[in-house]
Amino acid sequence: MFDAVFNKPQRRFDRVQLAALCGLMLLGAAFVYSATMVGGFANATPWYSQSWFRQIAYCGLGLAAASALCMADYRSVARWSFVVYWLMILLLVMVLIPGIGSIRFGARRWIELYFFQFQPSEFAKLGFILAQAHFLSRPQEELRAPAIFWKAIALMMLPFLLIMKEPDLGSALVLLPTGFLMMYVAGTPKRYLVRLLSGVAILGALFLADVLFAPPKWQIKMEDYQRRRLLVYFGAEYAPPPGAPKAEKERLRKQQFDDSHNVRQALISVGSGGLTGKGWRQGTQNALGYLPRAVAHNDFIFSVIAEEKGFVGSVLVLTLYGVVLFTGIRIAGQARDRLGKLVAVGVVALLFSHVFINIGMNIRIMPVTGVPLPLLSYGGSSVLGSLIAMGLLQNVHIYRKAY
Amino acid sequence: MARQLQIRRLICLALLLVLAFAGLGYRLVDLQVLRHEELSTIAQHNTQHEFLLEPRRGDILDAKGNLLASSVMVKTVCADPMLIGNHQAEVARAAAPLLQMSESELLKRLVPHLRQNEKGETVTNRYVVLKHKVPVETWQKIQATMGNISFGLDEKKLTKAERAFYHDLRQKAVFSRDDQLRAYPNQTLGAHVLGYASAEEREVNDMPVTEISGKDGIELTFNSKLAGVRGWRVTETDRQRRELVPLRDQDVEPRDGLNVVLTIDSVIQHMVEAALVEAMEKHTPISISGIVVRPRTGEILAMATLPNYDPNNPGAAPVEARRNRAISDVAEPGSTFKIVVVSGALNDQVVRLNDAFDCERGVFHYAGRTLHDHEPYGVLSVENIITKSSNIGAAKIGIKMGENRLYDYIRSYGFGARTGIPLQGEVLGIVHPVEKWSKVSIAQIPMGQGISVTRLQMVMAMCAIANRGVLMRPMLVDRLEDQEHHVVAKYYPQRVRQVISEPASKLIVEALKTVVTPEGTAASAALDHYMAAGKTGTAQKVEDGVYVRKYFSSFVGFFPADNPELCISVMMDEPKQGYYGGQAAAPVFKEIAEQAASYLNIRPDSDQGPTLAEKNATSLNARAVKALAARQ
Repeated sequence: MFDAVFNKPQRRFDRVQLAALCGLMLLGAAFVYSATMVGGFANATPWYSQSWFRQIAYCGLGLAAASALCMADYRSVARWSFVVYWLMILLLVMVLIPGIGSIRFGARRWIELYFFQFQPSEFAKLGFILAQAHFLSRPQEELRAPAIFWKAIALMMLPFLLIMKEPDLGSALVLLPTGFLMMYVAGTPKRYLVRLLSGVAILGALFLADVLFAPPKWQIKMEDYQRRRLLVYFGAEYAPPPGAPKAEKERLRKQQFDDSHNVRQALISVGSGGLTGKGWRQGTQNALGYLPRAVAHNDFIFSVIAEEKGFVGSVLVLTLYGVVLFTGIRIAGQARDRLGKLVAVGVVALLFSHVFINIGMNIRIMPVTGVPLPLLSYGGSSVLGSLIAMGLLQNVHIYRKAY
Repeated sequence: MARQLQIRRLICLALLLVLAFAGLGYRLVDLQVLRHEELSTIAQHNTQHEFLLEPRRGDILDAKGNLLASSVMVKTVCADPMLIGNHQAEVARAAAPLLQMSESELLKRLVPHLRQNEKGETVTNRYVVLKHKVPVETWQKIQATMGNISFGLDEKKLTKAERAFYHDLRQKAVFSRDDQLRAYPNQTLGAHVLGYASAEEREVNDMPVTEISGKDGIELTFNSKLAGVRGWRVTETDRQRRELVPLRDQDVEPRDGLNVVLTIDSVIQHMVEAALVEAMEKHTPISISGIVVRPRTGEILAMATLPNYDPNNPGAAPVEARRNRAISDVAEPGSTFKIVVVSGALNDQVVRLNDAFDCERGVFHYAGRTLHDHEPYGVLSVENIITKSSNIGAAKIGIKMGENRLYDYIRSYGFGARTGIPLQGEVLGIVHPVEKWSKVSIAQIPMGQGISVTRLQMVMAMCAIANRGVLMRPMLVDRLEDQEHHVVAKYYPQRVRQVISEPASKLIVEALKTVVTPEGTAASAALDHYMAAGKTGTAQKVEDGVYVRKYFSSFVGFFPADNPELCISVMMDEPKQGYYGGQAAAPVFKEIAEQAASYLNIRPDSDQGPTLAEKNATSLNARAVKALAARQ
């Protein structure tokens, strides 16, 4: 009698998560509008090419892609995971080739299509999650083998290094906690994980020590702006070369002031919002351009929300992400197999890393790295990637029962 | 077992998330609730800006309302080389004729000064002044020219970024700042009275302001009145410092400076200066001064000294030329000083006009010194002592009068004290107290030796005689007005003291009238239609304590003698070719007096007189007015 019920595929979305996602998308569109429709440029472009509208369009596109993804069982999707993975690796290599990848803000991150600039790293993250989940979903005993462990590491490091090469430190860095948490939940023995963690910690410490304290000759090669961002984060002085003239020191001091401008203004925006904020489109920091226009609608959208909607607004954002993440963990717990669990954990970890790093840099507990806030920050690739990731999560939820 | 591990680890993951969210939440509480006050103050400081609004410096006008000094709103034209890209040549070609600069000079300024920073990045300068003090109309033309400048490109084919570049190049690459230019439209006219002003960059409340302040003359004395009061505006701006007008908070207009209206009449000033220039050419003195005063009020109608300078460009003139010698230089006055002793003696009734004194045929031994007259005179009446300017006669009157009384009159006429003219740099002159006098002083001082006075003191003393014995304070400023010409402060003539009685002044005037007669020392000062009165002076100059053959020649006179309208002094330092006051200075007096009388319509004493001369005078006057108009 119950067979009919159990055997019928339960194509049911996780509604709570879906509601939270819709809330985030609406917030995103509203505040992208607030952050871009200021000053004289507001009416200069036709409505259909304004940021907020494009953002909504990307949301629609992403929802469509996610729905399409939900048509097929994630297990059949996972069979293609390595194809997707290598395709993404290919794209990441292509983006590094001059002529295919286009340079913006000094980094080669985009592939220009006719109507759309496409950022492969956003999709490479998904490819990586699928491939890693697929790889780690083998019987747990096999995970004890060092070879499997190292292969999993290699699977993670390949896109990591390619994205680092663009360079896009932020996108590369989110792969690490994602991969690590997936390995952790998959059941990789503790001793490997402890070693991995301590290894990463030691490397990280060495790296930071090098950036902050080493004399110029000993410093590893990295992009100048990246070094400066780290120095700004740690509040370290830009060290002028010994014996530099006074003007040079003055210039460095000025540059430091300019460089820390974004961070400082973001902090002021968040703090000046207070409990209830200044009101939508009323934020002075945002509307008057003190929060730089170039970043207000993407990397620093959280500051705009915090300024205009205050503590209430930022807690709402955190709550919505919290709902998405914890329903995601529930989906992982209810998944019918290890593959589904790992895909869900991967998506949750990826989303979490984005949220934490982005909000963290807005309120100055993380250094500035170009990590978008999923669904809130303006950006086609980011929105599409995030929605497809959520589609995977919903897919795991829909097909949680064996039939 | 494996499943349990996975569930445990999932719970751990969830705990990690809770922890991270708690961390973010804590930070948000800290920022948005606890530190809200502090950070919102900073946000307010971000947008709030205070601007200083500069007042316009007031004008200096002459008695008839003609502009003597004015402030012109001008622009300082600047450029941002970074926005010009590689179009320096086009911009220079367009702007050079308007700025009246050579194209190459402009090009040199527009080319960015490239500088490599330590990372090898190239940094350009973003601010360069192209020209200071550009008239507003010229700036508007430059703006229009820049807005329409063509680079020979099809604008429609450009990309968005290129279009933005050309937009910025046209609209923003050349910009301007407000500035004020202090202008003296009549160039050197009245330079020593007006003084000059200069602009300085100063910081007020951490904001750079260009401040114009007076450095000399009326510009300096009345600086605080002319300067006006700075206004301010507290308002909100965006990050590019563009003002958000609806959010203006405080807006206090600057109060423009007051106009200073002088007693100087620029037409008379011009007459005096023209006459001085002529005399300068003829006699080549080191310096020459001419002062025209209304004796009844002490109003100074003209005050000129050569060499002078152009206050539009004071730096170009030597320091000596900038000095107002009429108040800052002292000299022994010579015979003009005899009016002091004679008027004093008449006032004390020690002598009468027709008392006779033996002038010792030009040589008088007194207190171990020998005094000379320029011509040997026998017995002269007091009146003739003035007429002929006998040193020995004056000395004898002085001796008869006594040291103390003489000293009292000297001080009473204002010598040894500042006249109180509102100009900086006035000196006292040198008048020794009686205790310091030597034996011969009582004979020397009456003839204007052993005493030093300024040119202004001498003319004010003569004015006292003309003004029935009342010494007036010299007046240079008539009133202060606001921009709408409402009188803010009015200055009135100030009487200093009655020096001699009115009858005594009548007597000395009678004596002074004889100076300009053919028998007197200054026959050439006689006027056609007026009875003039005056006194010549030819003082030998002292170098290293010895009298040398260099002279300080002067004539101070007034007319009409019985109802004086103008008192005019002409003083020359070391004239050549005729050094007597009567030769050198008196004709200049006559020239100025006749032109000024005609210009001021002073009622003639006598109706007879050559009509031709009258015509000449009128045409002269007309010429003078025309010349002045041309200068303006």
